[in-house]
Amino acid sequence: MVYDEPYRWVEAVRNRRDYLEEQLSAGSPIVALPFQNGVLMATLGAGTPKLYEVYDQIAFGGIGHPADLEKLRNVVLDSAHIEGFNRSPVDVTVRRLMKFILAPMVKQAFEEVLHAPYIAKIVLAEIGILSGQPLFFHLNYDGVFEEDERGVVLAPTALMGERMNGFLRAAGETHPLSFKEALQIALRTWAVSQLPTDLEAEKQAGAPPTPEELDPILKRSLESHTIEVALLDRTQPGSSKYRIPSQEEIEKALKGWLK
Amino acid sequence: MHNGDFWSLLKSTGYQLGPGPLPAGREPIESKIALTQGTTIFGLKYKDGVLVAGDRRATAGTTVMYDRTDKVLEIDRHSVMAIAGVPATAFEIARVMEHTFKYYRRSQLQELSLEGKVRALSKLLKENIPMALQGIGAVAPIYAAYDLPRKEGKIFFYDILGAEFEGVEFATSGSGSPAIRGVLHYENRWGARPLADLPEEEAITLTMRLLETAAEFDSATGGSNREAHLYPVIKLVTREGVREIPQKELESLYANKVVGRPGVGEPGLSIG
Repeated sequence: MVYDEPYRWVEAVRNRRDYLEEQLSAGSPIVALPFQNGVLMATLGAGTPKLYEVYDQIAFGGIGHPADLEKLRNVVLDSAHIEGFNRSPVDVTVRRLMKFILAPMVKQAFEEVLHAPYIAKIVLAEIGILSGQPLFFHLNYDGVFEEDERGVVLAPTALMGERMNGFLRAAGETHPLSFKEALQIALRTWAVSQLPTDLEAEKQAGAPPTPEELDPILKRSLESHTIEVALLDRTQPGSSKYRIPSQEEIEKALKGWLK
Repeated sequence: MHNGDFWSLLKSTGYQLGPGPLPAGREPIESKIALTQGTTIFGLKYKDGVLVAGDRRATAGTTVMYDRTDKVLEIDRHSVMAIAGVPATAFEIARVMEHTFKYYRRSQLQELSLEGKVRALSKLLKENIPMALQGIGAVAPIYAAYDLPRKEGKIFFYDILGAEFEGVEFATSGSGSPAIRGVLHYENRWGARPLADLPEEEAITLTMRLLETAAEFDSATGGSNREAHLYPVIKLVTREGVREIPQKELESLYANKVVGRPGVGEPGLSIG
């Protein structure tokens, strides 16, 4: 077998990195950040939904091949529900789901060069039932994951992710964000992904992009895309905190700004 | 993949509901051990949906085990299960149900139909037949839900083998239920108005009086206890979801409408 030679294996892994980068390059980014009632996740899309409820206080977002995303989403669903049933719903946490279930599985698939890897990048967000502090995880196609309490960006390329993260951090408020404020930041962060790269070069040394630059891009994108938003809302009655805001709620938040 | 079926997922991990059949030749232990059970639960359709209520007492033989039991369990945003029988099995079944509906919704990306939910409980009761027949795990629950697509409340009751029946106007279960079944029938037929037309407060008042009646005739049903501020559990299942009536509210209703002979001749309530 050719891959028995170590350098061949390294080469094969590098090749599949290129392959995955290319496969993922067209994906629409997802932004997840805390707001006053919990967690807000948003993206702009034209096709299959990207945001899902996976447990009482946990949401899942992904970009990549729909079949792979479904597979991974189901793995998270199964583990979360078995754990929540056998122990307790508060014992189901994003940290355990990511570290012990999802990341090892994705890493193994990525390195088993004779099998197909998952074409997927994933974000997991949790409301923090006991801690009151939301937590976010970002998982790359190679199994590398990062956690952050301030929110995460799931972008098709590393460069785009960096630019968007820079904007999200700069926009990070000191006060708890309202639904409208959080949605605004999330959508503008998304719009950063659509900035022409030369404009970005001009900005290298300076301030992050301004709303005046981003809002026209957003308006244009909305002609061909629709907004997808999901919340983990602490004020929601019952044990399931996941909620999709109504169209009216979204329209109201956009009023006087994008519309 | 389990096709959205939590039960099949759970079983694939080696889970089973109860210990299964006893080894051949072993006698059921019911006669030797007093099991925790005994109850009055019921549901009735009123103006806005379904009201489901239960007393708070759990007994083992002649011993009162607990007087703060919640026998009306919220299964999801629009349904509750009231339990009569052995709590160990009933609480477990409720937990399976809750996870079953959530797992279905999250994996299949659509809500399980009310028919599907009603069947799910029936299936679990059938799984429990060995326990029920050995006398150590019989449960006869009531399942009530607000059917959003049809815009109406529904009540179902089950026997311990899993047969499901739909209660048209009301359903009762538990050892104290014979004492109130007739009253419900009478009230519905010859009361000032049929149960289905009762406004919320009247439905709650009637409920408290019925549970007080059941406690009068059934030793395994607990009545309200004013000193301990203990009142029945009453949950309303309406279009807006499941809502529990706060004990404070029940306390004032109890003082004004249940104690003594209040409300005699009051329009709408024929039981004085």
